[in-house]
Amino acid sequence: MDAFKLMKELRVNYEQEAHYLPRETGLRLIESTTEDDSRISAKCRDAKVEDVWSLTSFFGYSTQTFVLAVNLLDRFLAMIRIQPKHLSCVSVSCLHMAAKVTEEECNLAPPVELIRIGQCRFTASDLCRMEKIVAEKLNFKSKAVTALTFLDLYHQIALSHCTDGKEILSLEKLEAQLKACLCRISFSKAKPSVLALSLLRQEIHAVQSEDMLEIACHIQRHLKITDAELRLWSERVARRLSDYSSPECSKPNHRKLQWIVSRRTAQNLHSYRTVPELPTIPEHCWDESESEDSCEDVMSSGEESLSSSLGSDAEGPYFPLHLRRQHLHA
Amino acid sequence: MSAISASEKVDGFTRKSMRKAQKQRKSQGSSQYRTQSAPVELSPLPQLKDAPSTEQQELFTQKLQQCCMLFDFMDSVTDLKSKEIKRATLNELVDYVSTNRGVLVETTYPEITTMICTNIFRTLPPSDNPDFDPEEDEPTLEASWPHVQLVYEFLLRFLENPDFQPSIAKRHIDQKFVLQLLELFDSEDPRERDFLKTILHRIYGKFLGLRAFIRKQINNIFLRFIYETEHFNGVAELLEILGSIINGFALPLKAEHKQFLMKVLIPLHTAKALALFHAQLAYCVVQFLEKDPTLTEPVIRGLLKFWPKTCSQKEVMFLGEIEEILDVIEPTQFKKIQEPLFKQISKCVANPHFQVAERALYFWNNEYILSLIEENIDKVLPIMFGSLYRISKEHWNPTIVALVYNVLKTLMEMNCTLFDELTSSYKADRQREKKKEQERDELWKELDELRLSSSALVQNNSHGLPGVQNNNNNNNSNNNDTQDKSAEAAAVTSENKDPDDSVAANESSPCAK
Repeated sequence: MDAFKLMKELRVNYEQEAHYLPRETGLRLIESTTEDDSRISAKCRDAKVEDVWSLTSFFGYSTQTFVLAVNLLDRFLAMIRIQPKHLSCVSVSCLHMAAKVTEEECNLAPPVELIRIGQCRFTASDLCRMEKIVAEKLNFKSKAVTALTFLDLYHQIALSHCTDGKEILSLEKLEAQLKACLCRISFSKAKPSVLALSLLRQEIHAVQSEDMLEIACHIQRHLKITDAELRLWSERVARRLSDYSSPECSKPNHRKLQWIVSRRTAQNLHSYRTVPELPTIPEHCWDESESEDSCEDVMSSGEESLSSSLGSDAEGPYFPLHLRRQHLHA
Repeated sequence: MSAISASEKVDGFTRKSMRKAQKQRKSQGSSQYRTQSAPVELSPLPQLKDAPSTEQQELFTQKLQQCCMLFDFMDSVTDLKSKEIKRATLNELVDYVSTNRGVLVETTYPEITTMICTNIFRTLPPSDNPDFDPEEDEPTLEASWPHVQLVYEFLLRFLENPDFQPSIAKRHIDQKFVLQLLELFDSEDPRERDFLKTILHRIYGKFLGLRAFIRKQINNIFLRFIYETEHFNGVAELLEILGSIINGFALPLKAEHKQFLMKVLIPLHTAKALALFHAQLAYCVVQFLEKDPTLTEPVIRGLLKFWPKTCSQKEVMFLGEIEEILDVIEPTQFKKIQEPLFKQISKCVANPHFQVAERALYFWNNEYILSLIEENIDKVLPIMFGSLYRISKEHWNPTIVALVYNVLKTLMEMNCTLFDELTSSYKADRQREKKKEQERDELWKELDELRLSSSALVQNNSHGLPGVQNNNNNNNSNNNDTQDKSAEAAAVTSENKDPDDSVAANESSPCAK
């Protein structure tokens, strides 16, 4: 697509994006909720979105599917108050719906498999029902305008202007960064066009390309995005990305995961941890240079040494010193 | 038990009916025999507890001598009365030595050891079943166990008696005694081996002068087992004794012990019958590593060298042992072996045998191992990633697929950016591979088409082709076929130079990570 057409498409999407924004009041409500059993909190939602990402990645779905799924999820959560115990069902429904739109039919994982791998507690029919509810509440239309839409367009525009654009700006990296941002609910408050532009600028700064920067400014002017708004989100994006790539790993909460193994493997798992029946026999060092005292038992297992329990071993007074030195081959 | 003929087998396995018939007969064997042909009857002696203390010594000796008479247990009807007298006497002797003090006078030692030697030291009978499979078949038990058991019991009580003096005993319990004792470990009877184990353990503990000899002999037994015979029934018991010895090693470890670990214990893992003694062997190895962590690297490298390639049951055992080693490993040592180890683990998780894959994946349920991986995630994740991702799509077993999800999710949470990078480069690699496959297919198609066109060419123009002369120095006269084929080949090779170059160009660009 030539530059002109791209810009036009950009405009069209820009005008439409407001339709697909989650209700800000709803999002704020979630953000302000503390950990509670009756309401969804930000932490809750973020953890669930990360699970959705794990599933997306595992089943080989595209980033597009993920972004769409998160969009559906946030829009639904901002509108409807649900209990945390249903969050799992809602999120997987959104994923499945998004996958049906984006992915080829042959690549679609069956709902049963989604549920099994995701270790979910609900059934396939629950999933089906939830999908209908979500679709109904969101007046679900296949194509949603998301940050990825814009990111894609920006990338194409940048490439069309620079010949070596492909080497400098990697769409995959941008997608990964977008994914990192979407795992935090605060970024759902941003307008997709602004979020995408922030990400673009962030990457352009990283690769230090003057040409690209010009293009980014051009886009900003074209869409009439204010400096203030752009700055706000750029800061947040920068902070999020630096957190994301920091070496401090989040401790994997593997207690949440179930490890199911076959019976035979389970039987053999701890067969080695047998307590040895025979008490330890300490080695005696008979080196000439070492004194008698240093030859004390090296007790490691805390069990009674044979020699002490039976009295008559080499250490006692019975065994004359000069003879002890002669019999040195222990 | 005679060997099973082929007609009694189905698919190489013995028919169930045959196996059942075999099991009915409780197999017993013995090589004990009586030297005298005339039946000798034992005359019962008075009870020790009834004898006055002045006569007890003499009576004790008499009873010991009486017990030197051997009886034939393969014959279940002869000498029943005498057998019973001997049994009762042995019982009495066991009690006498266990409960009384001041019994072990110097003069009794030779009598005691003589009685013991006479009763237990014998050449073991050859196995009735040449294909004896310790896991499947019933072992051949010692027929004279009713007596032999008591003799062993007596020997044990003798050694454990508070008045026992190794300095006196060592005249009789010497190298020859120990050597004969060790040979008995090859007995098929597990009860006998159990006694021997405890007895040898006590002897090792008490006779410091014999320790080096015992270790050397065990060394020899194992080496013979590994490299020559692959047969010895007492490996597990000997390893159990060794475990308690290793546990007591003084630090720093002597070179002799380290040699033993590397030259004997590690190669012992290659034995076919590993399943019979693996638990004890693994325990010994882990004990060594707890004593001296610097041995970790050679041990793991040794295990990797002997990693089973065709026996899945063994592979599962090896994985279990690796987990035990990792449970006690020091982080600095871990860093040294993480790369070769995880390369092997990544092969294991992709193993089509579900038990191997399962066991390897289950490592990620071990908190300590997880913490080690986390610390070294930048080295470990790239090694594991490709394998895990591939089997998440390809493995036939759904349980494995679910476990892979757990592992991938755990790894993802450890380092998101690295995971993202690996995902995208993996996908890029797959794309490249697919493209190469397509190109290869197209190349073959082209070749097919060229073949048809160049065979037409050859028929018209048989001498002018450049390649023919080079290929056909020797085959001028008869082989028109060869000429045609090589001409085709020459034509084809010259035609296809360009596509080859372009493929080579693709291959030369490295896969960036």
